[in-house]
Amino acid sequence: MESVECIVVGGGLAGLSAAYGLAEAGLEVMVLERGDYSGAKNVTGGRLYVKPIRGFYPELWDEAPFERPVARELVTMMADGAHTTVEIASDRFLEGGPQSYTVVRAKLDQWLADKVMEKGAMVVPNMKVDELLRKDGRVIGIRAGGDEIGADVVVVAEGVLRLLSSAAGLAAQPQPRHHALGYKEVIELPAGVIEDRWHLNPGEGAAQLFMGDCTRGMMGGAFLYTNKESIALGMVVGMEDMRRRRDGTESWQLLDAFKELPQIRPLIAGGTAAEYSAHAVPEGGITQVPRLAGDGYVVAGDTAGLSFNALVTVRGMDFAVASGYYAAEAIKKAKAAGDCSAAGLASYEQSLRSSFVLRDLETARNIPGVMENPRLFTHYPAAVGRLLESVYTVGEQPQAGLVKKAWNGVRRDFLSLATLRDAWSMRKI
Amino acid sequence: MNIDAKLGLDVFKLDKEPHIVIDTEVCRTQCDDEACLYVCPADLYERDDQGRMTVNWEGCLECGTCLLCCDRRALSWAYPHGPFGVQYRMS
Amino acid sequence: MDIVVCVKTNPDLELVRVKDRVAQTEGVPYKIGDLEKNALEAAVTLRESGAASNVTALCVAEGNRKAAEDIKVALAMGADEAVVIDDPALAEPDQAAVAAVIAAAVRKLSACDLLLFGEGSSDNYTGQVGARVAELLDLPQIGYARTVEAEGDVVRCERSMDDVIETVQAPLPAAVTVVSEVNEPRIPGLMQIMKAKSKPLQVWSLADLDIEAPVPVREIESNLAEEQDRKHIVFEGTAAEQAEAFVDALIREGVLGR
Repeated sequence: MESVECIVVGGGLAGLSAAYGLAEAGLEVMVLERGDYSGAKNVTGGRLYVKPIRGFYPELWDEAPFERPVARELVTMMADGAHTTVEIASDRFLEGGPQSYTVVRAKLDQWLADKVMEKGAMVVPNMKVDELLRKDGRVIGIRAGGDEIGADVVVVAEGVLRLLSSAAGLAAQPQPRHHALGYKEVIELPAGVIEDRWHLNPGEGAAQLFMGDCTRGMMGGAFLYTNKESIALGMVVGMEDMRRRRDGTESWQLLDAFKELPQIRPLIAGGTAAEYSAHAVPEGGITQVPRLAGDGYVVAGDTAGLSFNALVTVRGMDFAVASGYYAAEAIKKAKAAGDCSAAGLASYEQSLRSSFVLRDLETARNIPGVMENPRLFTHYPAAVGRLLESVYTVGEQPQAGLVKKAWNGVRRDFLSLATLRDAWSMRKI
Repeated sequence: MNIDAKLGLDVFKLDKEPHIVIDTEVCRTQCDDEACLYVCPADLYERDDQGRMTVNWEGCLECGTCLLCCDRRALSWAYPHGPFGVQYRMS
Repeated sequence: MDIVVCVKTNPDLELVRVKDRVAQTEGVPYKIGDLEKNALEAAVTLRESGAASNVTALCVAEGNRKAAEDIKVALAMGADEAVVIDDPALAEPDQAAVAAVIAAAVRKLSACDLLLFGEGSSDNYTGQVGARVAELLDLPQIGYARTVEAEGDVVRCERSMDDVIETVQAPLPAAVTVVSEVNEPRIPGLMQIMKAKSKPLQVWSLADLDIEAPVPVREIESNLAEEQDRKHIVFEGTAAEQAEAFVDALIREGVLGR
């Protein structure tokens, strides 16, 4: 069997980040990507938190083809025709290098693949891996079509579905209750229109999340990210909730209904739909992280379940880059010591445990459980709307005082046993 | 915007062979919720005139939702071969 | 017998978006044209059958900065070696220029008994380059070939014409341009792609060919009609009144009675 030192399965951010570090160290690396190019099969909502990963490969990020640095964060709670938006614009979001950028994966991943090739790695597009080869429990290479290629180490960065890793027994088969469906439209708008609509300085961007009846009681929400000359508008819906739903609504129709809302229509008016995409999103949190390294392999990115949705911050791509970086570090050590067994690669998991990746996931341990509470997506967005709506309402009858109105709202919707129970369950998120 | 118009925005490179194959016998005898009919964001699943479940795999976004949601394991689901399937340009 | 296959790379047309009537090619990867893949497959098949000994893929970069990378697909498909001619002066050459460059490159190559082309490129499909090169090198040319067989010092092809199939034979050296019916090009496997990495690949500039930069003979202008807004004028009244008002409006717009 022909062989190379390292095979990376999947040319997304995790795989490419690993390949970059390995190739830089002079190791022989082959990245196998099933799309026409890196990014051709990838879907993001759209935002990469670059702050946590600036320290890895610092030469890269200043020239990365990002879309817009996120200067404004908006969260909109919606129910019964009332939308309540909280908007945060902070100098701190941009100071010392912006903390996050909107991104288009087709551009970002393709660029990173070029950088990886410049470092001497081979990136093979249009190449689907069909099987991880195992011998005596050790991963010894891959099969693609009729060709088997051996490797000292295989970096498994095949994405969220774990088709190869679960077939090889390296990770559990993904379950609907630990995943969401994310899907979106990319809608083209001129840069100036985007900046006017979201009150942005030229070049700056906004991220807007929506919670409430857009998902009709199901776990999830809608999102909107501003790219340079387009916006990504989409939804994330918990698969288990979606699967149990029997009212005849089809998943894709939620987005159309959302777009038709009078509060959303003006945001996208005059835009031209340019692409429609969808992907499963891992949301199981740290309990769904598989064994990260074994004899002859490491697992990185979405395959490793490294992502979380904490309602207002949705992360995954930063973890992907970080896990690729630490995978490369561990493999370099293992290769130098001539030991690519689980023991030789053990520093990978140690590094992830002491880094922000698994620490942040540990901190977020209880979020997936809390997110299963439907009141988060029904009662609270509606209650906030009702309260503020009553405060802002002027009617025909004499009005109650401001404080009284607010107090009535609080008493009606927030002072209940159920709310106390919810607050108790949320104390650890 | 109907779903066909949405899918019409995307690039699909078509293989000759389907990458999703349904064991319709499993659907017929074991499935009572037919989640595939409404979870698929591309609306690819439908029953044919004989009541058998079919999938218009050519417009597949490769998201994996049907695979995860089919708890009767009626789908044999692989990614399309190398040069084929959806190719995103702006996502 | 040595075969040279002329290969053009162009932006993958399936991936090109049109925005405001302009093709968006930025970031779109290049690939070898479909008919050129047929030509490569024909050449490799001849070599595998023992009729040819060496297959060289020859590519004029034509502004593709990654041509030397993209041509490796030809090596993975079975070509033995590749030559890329890349020169800043060849960013947007016309067909005459490409033909002149290919002719010079073929002269520089040590041996070429059979020169294969696709009938036309996947993007412009002018179908000129094969015939022009044959003329410049004073070779017999067979166009629209749907089979290619070589035996001894002749090449024999079936040509697809509208209602007949011709069988044509030409003495080698000769040039043949193929159509898609000729074969089903193989999709190279991973092993072939890996092996392609170590096959010889040369990049030549115009100076290496010892020729001047060709001057394009014409500029291509868009022949698309100008986009116009509709007027949304509805004429009321009887048919005669409507017709009269319509003609008046056309005269006012300067469409009639100029």
